[in-house]
Amino acid sequence: MVKLPDIREFRPTLEELEISVNNLENGLGYHLEDIPPFYQEKIRTVLNEAVNLVDIRVGYKFLTSEKIDCQSTRIHYGNLQFLTGKIIAAQLHSSQALVAFAGTAGKIFNSWSRSLFDTGDFPGGYVVDLVGSEIVESAVDWLEQQIEQGLSSTAYKMTNRFSPGYCGWNVREQFKLFSFFPEKFCGIELTESALMTPIKSVSGIIGLGENVERKEYPCDICTMQNCYRRGKSGQRK
Amino acid sequence: MNKEILSLITSCIERGKVDLNSPYPPDLKGQDGAVELTKSALSQGISAQDILLKALMPGMKMVGDKFGCGEAFIPDLMISAKAMYAATAILHPHFETGGFNERGTFIIGTVSGDLHDIGKNIVKMIMEGAGWNVIDLGTNVNTDSFLKTLKDNPKASIGLSALLTTTMVNMENTVKKIKENSPSTVVVIGGAPVTDGFCKKIGADAYFSSPHLLPDFLKNKPSSDD
Repeated sequence: MVKLPDIREFRPTLEELEISVNNLENGLGYHLEDIPPFYQEKIRTVLNEAVNLVDIRVGYKFLTSEKIDCQSTRIHYGNLQFLTGKIIAAQLHSSQALVAFAGTAGKIFNSWSRSLFDTGDFPGGYVVDLVGSEIVESAVDWLEQQIEQGLSSTAYKMTNRFSPGYCGWNVREQFKLFSFFPEKFCGIELTESALMTPIKSVSGIIGLGENVERKEYPCDICTMQNCYRRGKSGQRK
Repeated sequence: MNKEILSLITSCIERGKVDLNSPYPPDLKGQDGAVELTKSALSQGISAQDILLKALMPGMKMVGDKFGCGEAFIPDLMISAKAMYAATAILHPHFETGGFNERGTFIIGTVSGDLHDIGKNIVKMIMEGAGWNVIDLGTNVNTDSFLKTLKDNPKASIGLSALLTTTMVNMENTVKKIKENSPSTVVVIGGAPVTDGFCKKIGADAYFSSPHLLPDFLKNKPSSDD
């Protein structure tokens, strides 16, 4: 049986995350060859400025295997039921353990973006928002690598990560997920409407097991048309 | 001459050439941008109103139309809006009363419980670019704040934004209260989880998956004073 440390929190630096400028440029919507140099420069500038402004924190809680029961539309863990819906339940079905995770890029991005919008620098405000999202996603990519390293001496593999609010999993289930974490885990708090603050935060679960695999996100059977993952591969990079 | 300079300003807005020092677009590097041309147009005696209506707004309309047919992207709208913002700052002192409110007033806010504002900010930018006076109430805006602002601006239309399924349900109560207080006020909604079906269900007037369609819709369906 695999055993990871019960709970861990990390504070990686921006340099450690290996932010993908490609992902950022893709996020603008252009074909790569059509990206205005203006925006390429803007992305570089914002990333440089972000080095001293971010407060990157990521962590996980290892959920031991003996309490897991994966059903067709829900995952039971001890007395807790995650109503994930059938898309996520199917992906996690063979899991022998779960990891609940959370991560944030810090508080700065909302006020930074807003201040640029308020002074007419709309491209800057947009890029700051984009960079904040990419940093937090990259931070969780980095966390996945740490977990993967912890599994390297075992036959366990990992599923994709899944978050409340996506793939049919109600965002209100965020409260169940955060019940695993100590208060203000990674500096993240939930509002009454299940919104994480800082805004640039992500959370979710990952399945671990000998027979699980990372797959393309099943967008063809999901009804969430405006999802940011739509049409993207299982691995971000 | 007037027509020529107005056309140049329109081109600067459409292409996002802010001023002389702007490196973008590369082929216009070192040339006057929207700021210099707007100053020049004023010095030639062209009215601020004409510059706004015949040069700046058409430029934003052109990039908006390109966005609508997939020939431009959100970042293109952003660059154009930056040029528009810089040019309108030159015009502001030349309007004695309300020249920028030509189209009407639009109240916008992210609904109660939700702190996301990038979508709202994009809609705000597009509406200002289309000549509307936008009152931005910010994020986490409760129904009473919308009603109070509407009371002060009875002919305004209202836009509600939400990014979460847990907060979009708060739109329903806000729409209901607005319609109870002022049935003819146009209320539009937007945000990632929002759909046309949800819009109809809660009694809002319209939902837009893309912000560029909103100015034309409101131009053709203005709110009226009850």
